[in-house]
Amino acid sequence: MTRFGRLGQLTRLNLRRDRFRILMWIILLAALMASVAWKFEDIYGTQSEIAAIKGTLASPGIVAMFGAFSFKGKVTTAEIFANEMLLFMGLIQVVMNLALSVHATRGEEDLGITELIRSHAVGTLAPLGAATLELVIVNGLLGVLYSVGLTAANMPGATTEGNWLIGIGLATTGLLFGLLGLLTAQLADHSASATGLAYALFGISYLARMITDVQNPKLTWWSPMGWVEKLAPYNAANWTPIWLSLLTGLILLSLAFRLNDRRDLGAGAITTRPGRRTASAFLRGPVSLLWRRERNVIIAWLLAVMIFGIAYGTVFNTIGDILKTNPTMQQVFGSTMVHEANHQVLLSFTSLLAIVMAAVATIPGMQLILKLHTDETRGWLEALYARPLSRTTLLFSHLGMAYLTSTLAYIGGLGGIVVMGDASLTHVQDGISATEFWHGVAAQLPEIWVFLAISTLLVGCWPRLKTLSWAYLALGFISVYMGSLLKLPGWVKQLTPAGWMLRVPLHAMNWTTFSWMTGLAIVLIISGWVGYRRRDLQMR
Amino acid sequence: MTTNPVLEITHLQKKFGHFQALKDITFTVQPGEVFGFIGPNGAGKSTTIRVLLGLIRASGGHAKIFGQDVWSDSVAIHQRLAYVPGDVYLWPNLTGGEIIDLLLKLNGARHTAKTDDLIRRFGLDPTKKARTYSKGNRQKVALIAAFSQDADFYIFDEPTSGLDPLNERLFQEAVLDLKQHGKAVLLSSHILSEVERMCDRIGIIREGKIIETGSLAEMRHLTRTMVTVTLGDAFDVTELAGVHGVTAGQHPNEWQFAVEDKELSQVMTTLAQHQVEALQSTPPTLEDLFMHYYTGKE
Repeated sequence: MTRFGRLGQLTRLNLRRDRFRILMWIILLAALMASVAWKFEDIYGTQSEIAAIKGTLASPGIVAMFGAFSFKGKVTTAEIFANEMLLFMGLIQVVMNLALSVHATRGEEDLGITELIRSHAVGTLAPLGAATLELVIVNGLLGVLYSVGLTAANMPGATTEGNWLIGIGLATTGLLFGLLGLLTAQLADHSASATGLAYALFGISYLARMITDVQNPKLTWWSPMGWVEKLAPYNAANWTPIWLSLLTGLILLSLAFRLNDRRDLGAGAITTRPGRRTASAFLRGPVSLLWRRERNVIIAWLLAVMIFGIAYGTVFNTIGDILKTNPTMQQVFGSTMVHEANHQVLLSFTSLLAIVMAAVATIPGMQLILKLHTDETRGWLEALYARPLSRTTLLFSHLGMAYLTSTLAYIGGLGGIVVMGDASLTHVQDGISATEFWHGVAAQLPEIWVFLAISTLLVGCWPRLKTLSWAYLALGFISVYMGSLLKLPGWVKQLTPAGWMLRVPLHAMNWTTFSWMTGLAIVLIISGWVGYRRRDLQMR
Repeated sequence: MTTNPVLEITHLQKKFGHFQALKDITFTVQPGEVFGFIGPNGAGKSTTIRVLLGLIRASGGHAKIFGQDVWSDSVAIHQRLAYVPGDVYLWPNLTGGEIIDLLLKLNGARHTAKTDDLIRRFGLDPTKKARTYSKGNRQKVALIAAFSQDADFYIFDEPTSGLDPLNERLFQEAVLDLKQHGKAVLLSSHILSEVERMCDRIGIIREGKIIETGSLAEMRHLTRTMVTVTLGDAFDVTELAGVHGVTAGQHPNEWQFAVEDKELSQVMTTLAQHQVEALQSTPPTLEDLFMHYYTGKE
């Protein structure tokens, strides 16, 4: 028992240390779940509304993003809710868990806090045990809040078992990935590497889920990220995914404890290797420094976005062929009309995916811009600014890298969809043309640019508020991505740049909107630049 | 001889919101001079240095390096300046060798034989990633980059706080070498023996104000000399004027006390009339001076 000595005290310490971030996550997630459930009867209350959305949810495009669910007999409001929300909530909860678990273990170790704690009379395994308990408590609390919220919302078709199944199912899925984070934190020797490893595994799991969902949903059982879909809470309640998650989680946890027990403090199996004795000729200024530091992250993002695009593109032939679902159509309308209809389906699908791609492509750029301030607070800029290096040069080094990364990521992602998609088609003329593709690119880029410009403004003028960038991006993404499914009022979409341009290539490209949004981005950047040149740097 | 000062600070002020971090900072540093900048934590040493580097903007007063304004001409100034911060934070996924070279290149300098020599003498492994360096090793990276550079003005902010005594001595030798080459150095330090040994002039800062500047010799006149004396008769030294903190020694007629500088000759004349058997006088150390300014005691 001494190996876990003072476990309770350490757990309380963890919860106190992370209280703000835990509170933020819990409020955000529980409120999102409960408020959507609360409103859901208004959105999909009648049978005709349900019938309309049921068809949409069965389309491969939506299946790729929201998961495959089977409907039997009379479909209820609650079933539609579970279909739209489960995977989405699961994803956010995984992100929360990976952040909490790596932060509570390897993050603390990197800071030297674990060393300090271990020097006191605490059990050798107690810090990892406390991190585990923290995850159990946070996920458990969220699960209970979900269930209680769903019970209170009382959607038509909801059952007590289903409500608790959702709560417990999301809690165990979250916990499973949290425990994965604990394991990668033991494998890697610093927190960035642990996070990267965990996200790589999460990404593989998500991709496997997406491809199997579209091709053959039975195979989705092989992906932990797919288990949450298998709960089927309101039509055929299934507790197997919960036992699977818990069992897998226990295996991961026992591995984590075994590794933690055997390794030295600060060490990891994946070690930081020694590097160059001298700098390469390439490393000579702020741009090359940023590239040298962030190249792995940038390349990983570009590749990941492109792989996601290609994965989405593989479903083109399935969705872009109306004849598969409706063979009589050709006889009624003739082949020209059918090809036109197929083309419309693909345009609509591509436009929907463009929203996702734009949001995802914005993330690495935003990170690069916000990093300018993170570096500042970490003291890394003191050495740079003692050199003949102006604020303007450094700011625009970060901006240039950020804009280039996000722009390329978006083009690569959408390109992956369209190139792979068109290649997979039986009838190439149904596919997305080059003009449509470039219009799709041009339509979303100003949105990305404005989001990045807002981050620039915050870093330049009000750096303490920089986290708002993420909240604003999340709002923009949710409002346009979930907006039509949740039937949100139009003004909600107009709150962020994500909703300012009509979906292209479904709609025609609007060059006026393109111009004024680009102009706005430039104005915001200039304001941020002026602010950054004038303000004091924040130092340790 | 009139030379332009390398650094010239006049009535510098800095406010953070309502907190006045710097109230009145005035001093100069001449070419070929090592200037010691001492004061306790939170007195404003690092804030002053950050104003000098153009990292934060002064709320009042002026600061000029090479005759140029530290805020608006910072880039031009930094061409000829080298700086080592007190807490060195380095990009964790670059090696020490890469960082040294990058910092040099940013100044238009290059990795030379001198750099290699410094790396060898300080005992740094340049192939390790910065995240694996201890505090002392991170400081070595910054010091090697600074000493490899051919600057005209060097600013060190508590540069030896993480170094072992051997490396501390290397640092002191390197600074004295700079001085011999006519460079100006601003050395902020807690280690008073280091300042005492290396600095030509000293500025003492307290609560955002420079309360004293001058050479150590000049400052000593402002305080008291410690005297231990053994007399041949039972004269009571407490009768003397300008004598403080008198304590009786271990032997009969042995006394210890502090004498105000201006009373020193009068005291000596009086003592001489009482058959001095042994006399030891110690000039105040920098530590005594420091304590004198900060606590008001000797």
